Amino acid sequence: MSDAVTYVYAVTRGADEATVAGLVGVGGGPVRLVASGPLQAVVGDVDREEFEARALEERLEDLEWLAATARAHHHVVDAVGRVHVVAPLSLATVYYGDDRVREVLEQGGETFRAVLDRLTGRAEWGVKAYARDRPVAPAGGSGGDRPRSGAEYLRRRRRELREGDLTLEEAQQAAEEVHAAVGALAEATRTHRLQDPALTGSTERMVLNGAYLVPVEAVGDLEALVASLAEHPRLRVELTGPWVPYSFAQVDVS
Amino acid sequence: MDEPTGPSRRVEIDKDAVQRDLMKLVLTVIELLRQLMERQAIRRVDQGDLTDQEEEDLGTSLMLLQEAMDDLTEQFGLTASDLNIDLGPLGPLLPRR
Amino acid sequence: MSDDGGLERRSTSLFGDQEVALVDLLDRLLAGGVVLTGDITISLAGVDLVRVSLRALITSIAPVERPSAAEARTVASSVDRPQLGSRHG
Repeated sequence: MSDAVTYVYAVTRGADEATVAGLVGVGGGPVRLVASGPLQAVVGDVDREEFEARALEERLEDLEWLAATARAHHHVVDAVGRVHVVAPLSLATVYYGDDRVREVLEQGGETFRAVLDRLTGRAEWGVKAYARDRPVAPAGGSGGDRPRSGAEYLRRRRRELREGDLTLEEAQQAAEEVHAAVGALAEATRTHRLQDPALTGSTERMVLNGAYLVPVEAVGDLEALVASLAEHPRLRVELTGPWVPYSFAQVDVS
Repeated sequence: MDEPTGPSRRVEIDKDAVQRDLMKLVLTVIELLRQLMERQAIRRVDQGDLTDQEEEDLGTSLMLLQEAMDDLTEQFGLTASDLNIDLGPLGPLLPRR
Repeated sequence: MSDDGGLERRSTSLFGDQEVALVDLLDRLLAGGVVLTGDITISLAGVDLVRVSLRALITSIAPVERPSAAEARTVASSVDRPQLGSRHG
């Protein structure tokens, strides 16, 4: 490509070119390493125009582009993360060339090392919980009847709304208990924004979207805990993972 | 989740699908407002703000509005789930039916 | 687990690239990871997935049937919401 910038996926250590050989990154190009001391940045070339500030903001609102880029990014980070501990970067971090990346590694060396130390032997797991739908019993007589008055309609709706709210509240309380129980197995926890039903395609309200940094030795307990929740009366619980610890890599490297 | 269509695929969209997508957007907003109004009405009844006649008229209007919404969603092949966007701080205003 | 802490283990068959749910991925990529000041500085904090989803819906409508751009923006922004950092109830 005519004008390229360097897209950085993650920082790792102990990696060599074999680690990234054959990987295809964002924009379809190959993935390589930029090294500085014991650290390596996992990088690739991308088209500069595509990533210039204004163009990028527009693209972030283009779901197709965002999805493709996110998957390509994740593919690289995940592949490296299977063999080496990685400090993943947030999406779309680009520099004007490898020398700049090397500078960043040098300047941030201590911080990256601290992050990598903290993440070694740990993986991120996600626990999501949804409020189970509970059928609302029909108002006295058969609920299918049209209410005989406006006032009766309001009474019926009040009851239905209240029951719905109660169901949701109970599910939210249960979710807090689950969050605490999973958190007890984790070194760090984080809650992400609850996912919109329009995005998940689920008909149930999400009440927990938690991320947990779990040491490898605790994963069996985690799986057992989630399995024990399969018949929970209020919640449907899902486990995702292991993830490269995207949610626990926050650090200010300025 | 609905996938956005690229320019090369737009010409293949049939009018019914286009109309349904647009109605889905519009009806979602109307449904939000309808449920907001319903909760507000119930709150006012609970507070004793309304006369019996006001309560009756309000209830009837809301009931008719719900029936109209049911008709429209059915007409466009939409379900209650289709119209349910979780609006964050507005929270449980669109409970799952 | 490999000796330097890589994620060798996969607990289920779910984690080939295509089976990772996009929303789960975006939760992590838009709100996670080491945040460096790149050479091209953009702010990701404002990306609102509901707004993205609504725009995807709007742009899927063919031009001849599309409401005016102003109307579409009005509808989309009326269901816009601020970024939340924590669970709401």
